[in-house]
Amino acid sequence: MLGKRVLITNRGEIAIRIAKALNELGLVSVGLWTDNEPEAAHLEYCQEWVHLPGSTNRDTYLNVPKIMEIIKVHKIDAVHPGYGFLSENGEFAKTLKAAGVIFIGPNPEAIAAMGDKAISKQWAKKAGVPVVPGSVGEVPTAEEALKLCQSIGYPVLLKAVAGGGGKGMRPCYSDADVKTNFEAVQREALSSFGNAGLLVEKYVKDPHHIEVQILADKKGNVYHLFERECSIQRRHQKIIEEAPSPFIGADTKLRTEICETAVKLAKAVGYDSAGTVEFIMGDDRKFYFLEMNTRIQVEHPITEEITGIDLLANMVKSAFNQPLDFKSQDDIKLHGHAIECRICAEDPVTMLPAPGKIAGFETTFPQGIRFDHCLYPKFTITPDFDPMVGKLVARGFDRAVAVRKVRAALDGLLLDGLKTNIPLLKVILDEESFKAGQYTTHYIAGVKPQEKVAIAEEARSLLVRVASVEMGQV
Amino acid sequence: MRYYFVDQDRKDIVVDLNKVETHAGITQFTFQDQTFLARRLAGKLFGSWDGKKWFKMTQLSAGETVVSNTMTYKMYRGFKPSGLFTGGAGALVTQMPGKVVKLMVKVGDKVAKGETILILEARKMETEIKAGASGVLKSLLVQPGQALEQGVLMAEIETSAP
Repeated sequence: MLGKRVLITNRGEIAIRIAKALNELGLVSVGLWTDNEPEAAHLEYCQEWVHLPGSTNRDTYLNVPKIMEIIKVHKIDAVHPGYGFLSENGEFAKTLKAAGVIFIGPNPEAIAAMGDKAISKQWAKKAGVPVVPGSVGEVPTAEEALKLCQSIGYPVLLKAVAGGGGKGMRPCYSDADVKTNFEAVQREALSSFGNAGLLVEKYVKDPHHIEVQILADKKGNVYHLFERECSIQRRHQKIIEEAPSPFIGADTKLRTEICETAVKLAKAVGYDSAGTVEFIMGDDRKFYFLEMNTRIQVEHPITEEITGIDLLANMVKSAFNQPLDFKSQDDIKLHGHAIECRICAEDPVTMLPAPGKIAGFETTFPQGIRFDHCLYPKFTITPDFDPMVGKLVARGFDRAVAVRKVRAALDGLLLDGLKTNIPLLKVILDEESFKAGQYTTHYIAGVKPQEKVAIAEEARSLLVRVASVEMGQV
Repeated sequence: MRYYFVDQDRKDIVVDLNKVETHAGITQFTFQDQTFLARRLAGKLFGSWDGKKWFKMTQLSAGETVVSNTMTYKMYRGFKPSGLFTGGAGALVTQMPGKVVKLMVKVGDKVAKGETILILEARKMETEIKAGASGVLKSLLVQPGQALEQGVLMAEIETSAP
């Protein structure tokens, strides 16, 4: 494995994280730069820099022919795709395999098995992994819906086939509810989506998004690195994640059960890399399989923090068929608690992306903070890329300590020049139900922390800015 | 020293700053009834409201965009650059950061009010930037693929007499 040349087909903070792992393992990290980001911060950590011409994502990080050409010219042995871009593209994995290049990720068959939501659910059912119970296809009449609801057990959700965004769905708690709601939802579905088709699904009340980190080698050994809870979401995207899950808490039996279920699924599909199995868990503590992400995930640092296992380094070792850093599942232990806050270039109130240029950047962190980022003063965050620019991670002896540390770290993270979600993250970390670890995926919609974002006194705020400029004048 | 903070709607806030260098490298700034102290320490910049409690500050430059609460301002020292936001209906200025997708006209072309001059992509959506007045396109200062900040002059129209 030593001296092998690895191309990172990604940018931003994850490219830095991958390069760190490659350098540490004695591999050659090869980074890419594109025309719209010639000063890409990740190159600082890459040993070789290669120009990937083009300025749109389609022309660059998503362009398989161009990347294959670079692989040939620069004698690349392996590729790490990071997350997003080509990371879950089975065709790319196949193309690399055919060219004799190692794809640092799972085999193409595993990507295919987990890539499509419907197909992955069938795999889960086959492996005996619970999926959200429901109808197979449309339910034509109220009578049939009633029969199905009784067999699934209440509460049940009636939802439009074409539905979305919370429209055209209604929870039912009894036979009477189904009778009164069936036609109403049909009418709503017809008027909103032009399709009256209805589905019946188990209603997961007060849901939690809980996912299990998997790490597997090429010899059929599949390990889990415990779970993460990612229920604090906006626009169906996570903003705060923690490990272990505060909802599972001290329920070791449930923790073992969900982790072993994830391992069972990974084994069933012949999984052989780092990956994540996502579940939804209701207030009755029953969990159901949602999907599997066949790549390294944004929130992997919190798992690294609580287990002490370097996921990126072991993912690379696995791809090169090298022994992992540990020998058995029993070597993987849970230490303390970790929290990650995603720092995003977005409006803290509307939560919409707000790209811009970093005018000033300073940090003063408490002990033990990890900040995975790609920021530097004058760095321009373009609308082309995800607004997530950094991950602030704290590990503590327990959850309270982790919350305290990450909250103090937010105070010590100064970013000016563009709007960020830092003020919103502070509100959430100060809020009672979050501090108590009692929240569900409805948190943002229910608690509305964005309405409590602090407003500074304008004159004071502007005075600090002008004083800073004046101090820079000679 | 006078500073201008110009917002998205090109409205500005004027900050008339009083600056006094005091002992021990501390500079005192006054604006309205607020007094603020700043000093350098180990290459970093620190500020204080009372001279006792100090906090780290970012080093900013004039001409940069800064954020105060949920407002973004372009900050200018001493003067407001002309042409950037004092322009009338003939000046096309970005209202939010975006990226130029396509230019629809060239310099010297006759343009009618409401005609699309260029297409800008912002927040993953394409927006047509239209002429605010009829006339002749005097200058086109951007190229396709170029990423633009808020408050940047993209094109100017020499308006014809009404």
